Amino acid sequence: MVQLTPQKRQLLLRTVTRRETSLLIFTLALIIAVSIHSPRFFSVTNFNDILLNAAILAIASIGQMMVVITGGIDLSVGSGLALSGMLVGLIYKNDYALNPFLALLLGALIGLALGSINGLLVSKAGVPPIIATLGTMSIYRGLIFIISKGKWVSAHEMPDMFIHLARGHILGIPNLIFITIFFYGIFFYFLTHLKSGREIYAVGGNAEAARIAGINVDRIKYAVYTMSGFLYGLCGVLWVSRFASAQSDSATGFEFSTVTAIVIGGVSVFGGTGRITGVLIGAILISIVENALSVTQISPFWQLAIQGFIILLAVVMDAVMKNRDRKTVVRGQQV
Amino acid sequence: MRTKLMVVAVVLFVCLVMTVSVSAQNYTIAMVVKGAGNPFFEACRKGGEEAAAELGFNFIFQAPEIPTAEGQIAIIDALIAQRVDAILVSANDPDALVPVLKRAMDRGIKVVAFDSGVAPAGRHLFLNQADMELIGRIQVQLLADMIDYEGEIAVLSAASTMANQNTWIEWMKEELKLSKYEKMKLVSIVYGDDLREKSYTEALGLFRAYPNLRGIISPTTVGVAATARALEDQGLSGKIALTGLGLPSEMAEYIRNGTSEAIALWNPIDLGYVSSYMAHALLTGQIKGASGETVNVGRMGERTIVQTADGGLEVILGAPFVFDKDNIDEWYQVY
Amino acid sequence: MGNYILELHNLTKRFPGVTALDQVQFQLKPGEIHALVGENGAGKSTLIKIITGVYQPDQGQILLNGEPVSFAGPINAQQAGIAAIYQDPTTFVELSIAENVFMGHPILHPKSKRINWQAMHNTTKKLLQELELDIDPDTPMKFLNVAERQLIEIAKALSLHSKILIMDEPTSALTIQETKRLFDIINRLRASGVAIVFISHRLDEVFELADRVTVLRDGKYIGTHNINEVTVDKVIQMMVGRPMHEMYPKTTIEPGPELFRVENLTRHGDFFNISFSLRRGEILGIAGLVGAGRTELAEAIFGITRFNQGTIWLDQKELKVRSPHDALSAGIAYLPEDRQRCGLVLPMNIASNVTLSILETFKYRLLNKPQECLIAQQFVDKLDIRTSGIMQLVRNLSGGNQQKVVLAKWMATKPRVLILDEPTKGIDVQAKTAVYGLINNLAAEGLGIILISSELPEVICMSDRILVMHEGEIAAEFERGQVTQEQILQAAIGRRQLEADVS
Repeated sequence: MVQLTPQKRQLLLRTVTRRETSLLIFTLALIIAVSIHSPRFFSVTNFNDILLNAAILAIASIGQMMVVITGGIDLSVGSGLALSGMLVGLIYKNDYALNPFLALLLGALIGLALGSINGLLVSKAGVPPIIATLGTMSIYRGLIFIISKGKWVSAHEMPDMFIHLARGHILGIPNLIFITIFFYGIFFYFLTHLKSGREIYAVGGNAEAARIAGINVDRIKYAVYTMSGFLYGLCGVLWVSRFASAQSDSATGFEFSTVTAIVIGGVSVFGGTGRITGVLIGAILISIVENALSVTQISPFWQLAIQGFIILLAVVMDAVMKNRDRKTVVRGQQV
Repeated sequence: MRTKLMVVAVVLFVCLVMTVSVSAQNYTIAMVVKGAGNPFFEACRKGGEEAAAELGFNFIFQAPEIPTAEGQIAIIDALIAQRVDAILVSANDPDALVPVLKRAMDRGIKVVAFDSGVAPAGRHLFLNQADMELIGRIQVQLLADMIDYEGEIAVLSAASTMANQNTWIEWMKEELKLSKYEKMKLVSIVYGDDLREKSYTEALGLFRAYPNLRGIISPTTVGVAATARALEDQGLSGKIALTGLGLPSEMAEYIRNGTSEAIALWNPIDLGYVSSYMAHALLTGQIKGASGETVNVGRMGERTIVQTADGGLEVILGAPFVFDKDNIDEWYQVY
Repeated sequence: MGNYILELHNLTKRFPGVTALDQVQFQLKPGEIHALVGENGAGKSTLIKIITGVYQPDQGQILLNGEPVSFAGPINAQQAGIAAIYQDPTTFVELSIAENVFMGHPILHPKSKRINWQAMHNTTKKLLQELELDIDPDTPMKFLNVAERQLIEIAKALSLHSKILIMDEPTSALTIQETKRLFDIINRLRASGVAIVFISHRLDEVFELADRVTVLRDGKYIGTHNINEVTVDKVIQMMVGRPMHEMYPKTTIEPGPELFRVENLTRHGDFFNISFSLRRGEILGIAGLVGAGRTELAEAIFGITRFNQGTIWLDQKELKVRSPHDALSAGIAYLPEDRQRCGLVLPMNIASNVTLSILETFKYRLLNKPQECLIAQQFVDKLDIRTSGIMQLVRNLSGGNQQKVVLAKWMATKPRVLILDEPTKGIDVQAKTAVYGLINNLAAEGLGIILISSELPEVICMSDRILVMHEGEIAAEFERGQVTQEQILQAAIGRRQLEADVS
């Protein structure tokens, strides 16, 4: 749990934790409700499952978040992820004994290249992000079919050490969770403490003002798509390792899961605002909902509708709290 | 005047081309499968190509990028426009494809369904991979052997709309009514939608919701592999038994290490091969498509057309094949 | 009462942090042209928006033909016969004139309820003839110029049989001839009994056209007079509320050596052969009408856009400016006219906005939070930005305070040359005076300041030297204290053109 130190200035506390607190309250309420209904949900192993399931989504969502903050969208997340995963899978299929951590790096670099194509299209060619990434989404998916010739890479074709990448532990922490924490740490620092991070918000908040303030808007746009690519490329390798299978239709529609996670996490679809902590909670919340629906054995015919309803509820609850909050601020000003 | 001449010229040309193509007796047979990049259907394709080589017809293979009925309808529309002679189809939805297939039949195109059938109104013949009844029953028998006819079991299926999975599950329930299974109890049926991550999550949900679970049947290739992976990740291999319908290549790893002792499947190469022969026989007039007729199916010998319960006509391929530790090494390279 | 078509009694409207209208009175007779004047931020637009139903008053009463009314939305005001025409007409550019005129109230066939295109076409044609506009009603709106679009708006008002017509700065974008034609039409409308509310910054127009004038200042009602009972000076005094020298606290600074110079700067279609120099501590005003090329010039100097030829010199060295980044590194800063669109990142807090253009100066490009807060706090204190703290989002600040944040952002870059484009647009009088004080301080520190403004008193009183631009060229240059509003206006509208009109 997040421990709030009371020493921090009240102002800081209010601005930094507002969205996250409302989300956390909602998440806790959900956990309690599900646990009462189905006590088996409330166990260490199950929470472990939830976090493991959230990990890949959480990492890919960081990239989507940065793109959306600049006012864009990256629809190529799912197919880029699958393409990088398939490429790495094929390397193993052809019996190259690649170190799993080098495989991660390689996947990330493949993603970096894929993302930079999006970045060039958006920043240099001036293609609207939704069109550019819609195009590359299909191209990347098509490339998977071409390079794999429609075949899957199966568990027996991968070395044990690679399959164990998603299953192993570092310092007692599961690798997936360790990697997630690692990247959240890095990008938290990047977005809040580095010049380029701040510039991402400025570009999304007001590109014109950012340009006049001397910020190279094109460079920032290029950078966010490239970073998104880096992250989904990495996720592709994790995905293949986790499911011990590279499949040509892997992660179809995954881009929408990332958009859902960041929207729940409080990132404005109009760009300019959003915090990485919110995105993390958003991804975990999605994982909790999926897990809970499965563990409570709710009729599969209801699951999709319930999933959508819970997500809307989380966002609406936040909107209501924010609204109330804004009113108090206005009143405060008048006094 | 000039435009009129043009129209006449075009019409004449088209007629000419059509006469030429008909007189050459060079049939074009198109295979439409559920989704691109599925090794199972790649094997079906191999069978179709084999038959094409033996009989000398043009073979086209097409698949929607995502396994949906909509995607297949679009493909079939295009095939009608191309005036192919016969369509072999594995349907994503037994009813949704009926109108478009009816239109094809009205244009004189022969329709043979295979693997996953369509309603009788939308086909001339159906190639049943094995008796539905047999497939359903054999999976229960396999699992029962693994768990000594005792304990809670669950089914992890594909999408809740898939025709053949639903029929098999009905036959599994029938089999379970026999007295020798009285100590086995089917506690849940869940749906992984043939998506890797969803199937995995659903498998985890089963482990949590039913701590006393002894066995899982997953009558779908993606589901059975994802369940195997989930069992291993949770350290449940050997504690919960697993069987179902799976590809030898996908399942080789898990059969060898005992996560799943045995799985069943028919031979998809034969499936593509025989359905192609059936379509060709319809085109040449060797068979009219009536109950009781015998059709020559090349290296597989002869099969007889029989009436089905739903009033349609079908041909049965044969009994499903069981893969286990002893024979998996012969098969995992094949498909 | 009785003979008023529209009466507003004790109207009050509050917005968060500001009282836009405070007990305002207004009365409109049928068949009169009633001018509404006041400085920016005096409350004119708020008053208009209440009359047209966009805003609802917090207190007060609206009487239409002696009956109390309340408009829930613009559609209600429209149905009550009130139409408004803005300086930048809001039209559907892809649709035809006829469709624009009848947008929202199409003529229908009585039975089938289909749209009666023929009737709409014919009616529009008749209306256009009345306005002496010889255009086919099927012409798409996008082929019309601003003046013609305004006439189409008037046609729309006529099609609605509006009895009250509100014109908000209708002449600000028009040429002299277009203005003349518009005035002819307005006079004819008055003769036919339409009541017209006329808003203009140009007092000469007010005195030429209006029957009565009402003055607002700081959201308060100052008074209403028949136009022949007052003088221009009297109206100005009512608007400003205090003698000129208090409003514009210009301090005299002895300008230093030349700091900045442009030579023969040209961009085809926007400005031509612009040359001027700027000395340390000097405030150089640039006046001109909208569209004279002032903003375009400033954007080119700052590297937002390119120019075709000419050179820019700073400290006697030629400067190659290819991007705002280049300009900023050289020591040139630019405060854009539209602060919401170009100046601020609204979803960010004050501190982040202030340090936006100096992020590079932080060591290792790390955001040093304490240092950032320190810088922001300094400017908040120095510029007297009214806020609950530097973490407040700029979105929630008033216009004047937002403008101060933008100023702080540019001051933080420690510029040598500061270009201010309409720095007091849309902020209240107190904030204006504060901004003028800041400009003086900056000049005293040795900065060269270029002040682009459409408010003539501001240019006249704050500048050491004034350039007047007309259609992309420098039409005149005046020294401080040697110029009247009249002279600037003459130069701005092109003296030659006036002479041609006379002859």
